[in-house]
Amino acid sequence: MSEPAALKIDDLHKSFGSHKVIKGVSMEAQKGEVIAILGASGSGKSTFLRCINLLETPNSGDIYLAGEKMRMTKNRHGDTVPEDIRQVERMRARLAMVFQGFNLWSHMTVMENVLEGPLYVQKTPKAEAREKAKALLAKVGLSDRADYYPAHLSGGQQQRVAIARALAMDPDVMLFDEPTSALDPELVGEVLGVMRDLADEGRTMLVVTHEMGFARDISTKTVFLHKGEVCEEGPPAQLFANPQTPEFQAFLSRMN
Amino acid sequence: MDLILEYQSQLIDGTLMTIKLALTSLVIALLFGLLGAWAKLSSSRLARRVAGAYTTIVRGIPDLVLILLVFYGGQVTLNNIGVMTGLWGYVEVSQFAAGACTIGVIFGAYFTETFRGAIMAIPPGQIEAGISCGMSRSLIFRHIIWPQMVRYALPGFTNNWLVQLKTTALVSVIGLQDLVYNAFTAGRSTGQLFTFMAAAFVIYLALTGISDLALRALERHYSRGVVRAR
Repeated sequence: MSEPAALKIDDLHKSFGSHKVIKGVSMEAQKGEVIAILGASGSGKSTFLRCINLLETPNSGDIYLAGEKMRMTKNRHGDTVPEDIRQVERMRARLAMVFQGFNLWSHMTVMENVLEGPLYVQKTPKAEAREKAKALLAKVGLSDRADYYPAHLSGGQQQRVAIARALAMDPDVMLFDEPTSALDPELVGEVLGVMRDLADEGRTMLVVTHEMGFARDISTKTVFLHKGEVCEEGPPAQLFANPQTPEFQAFLSRMN
Repeated sequence: MDLILEYQSQLIDGTLMTIKLALTSLVIALLFGLLGAWAKLSSSRLARRVAGAYTTIVRGIPDLVLILLVFYGGQVTLNNIGVMTGLWGYVEVSQFAAGACTIGVIFGAYFTETFRGAIMAIPPGQIEAGISCGMSRSLIFRHIIWPQMVRYALPGFTNNWLVQLKTTALVSVIGLQDLVYNAFTAGRSTGQLFTFMAAAFVIYLALTGISDLALRALERHYSRGVVRAR
């Protein structure tokens, strides 16, 4: 029997009220795959990503992490809710997320931000967690900023801290929600550089992005979402060279 | 001055009573405030309605009316309930209990709004970051919400506390021997009302001044990582 996919999403649906945002999206990421998720604003790409770690609760659909299914049930109002919040918390810890707005904890130093998850969620011994946090800050090029507060860092530096914070959890899959969209253009490169290194070392990543270059050069698979559905998907070389649908063609011409 | 020294034990007792009453009612107010803020931000409609009614009613009635109502009405009501249910015999509501509870409940309504505003000031993204690390709700509250909530709540807290400390003076009307009551009694019996009221003035100012200093230190402690505009 072959190894189960690192992450598998099966027929995910999500509505806000009567507005259907995700209309049955399925996706599979093998270990080491980098999936770039493209789409116009309102295509549901961020919502889709946020459903994977249950920041938004999907109305239906199954999520499997390395073969383990996230167990959902219905409450008395008929809403879908987690069956076991502990299981969800365990799975979230293996699914690190990097946000558009960085979302660092502003009352903690860079070091404390990176240590929080390992120390208090994973209960890693302090010395070990510190060593690892130091190594991760070195990796994202911020060793000299360990004792700074987020407010004293540039956007690009904050996002690199957020990536170090995500890596500190040793996640099986990393979710990136438009990680460079809130950055000044001259700071985008430093964040993309770190993400490129992660892809090179074989991290499994789902990246919602507007960076066409990143999708084309780094992703192993590109998915184009349109109105809550997968419109096109495939290897980026093929997809970008030869867009099949008028929607994707129109999207690409708007982005260039 | 000699007069004041002569009556110093009354003044000291009154001051201690005022401090004891203020701190007791503060604890009650904080409990009601946290509970109220939690209820107002809860997803349960019933909890939001109850908390809404609480703050609307309590903040809409003069403190003095509530104190008199609880002290004189509360005892009668409690005894009527005791007779009706047969669960307890005659109870006497002490002036201290009536005063502390009433002031606590009144200021709990103000703290409810202070805490609600403070919690809402925390960027929701920081809570989402906690959720997505697999943090439990209690860990998120203790490590992310509480430290930042305290910082946002402190200016409003300081305001509420100073008003609350002064509001304790109202209990002298139900006969609790606090600073105002004792100073007033001493002033009348010696015919030197001005002297004793001036003493009360200075003591209240000292209490509020010390509070202000302590709370400012607390504010500095909880402002880690905050950049101020210069």
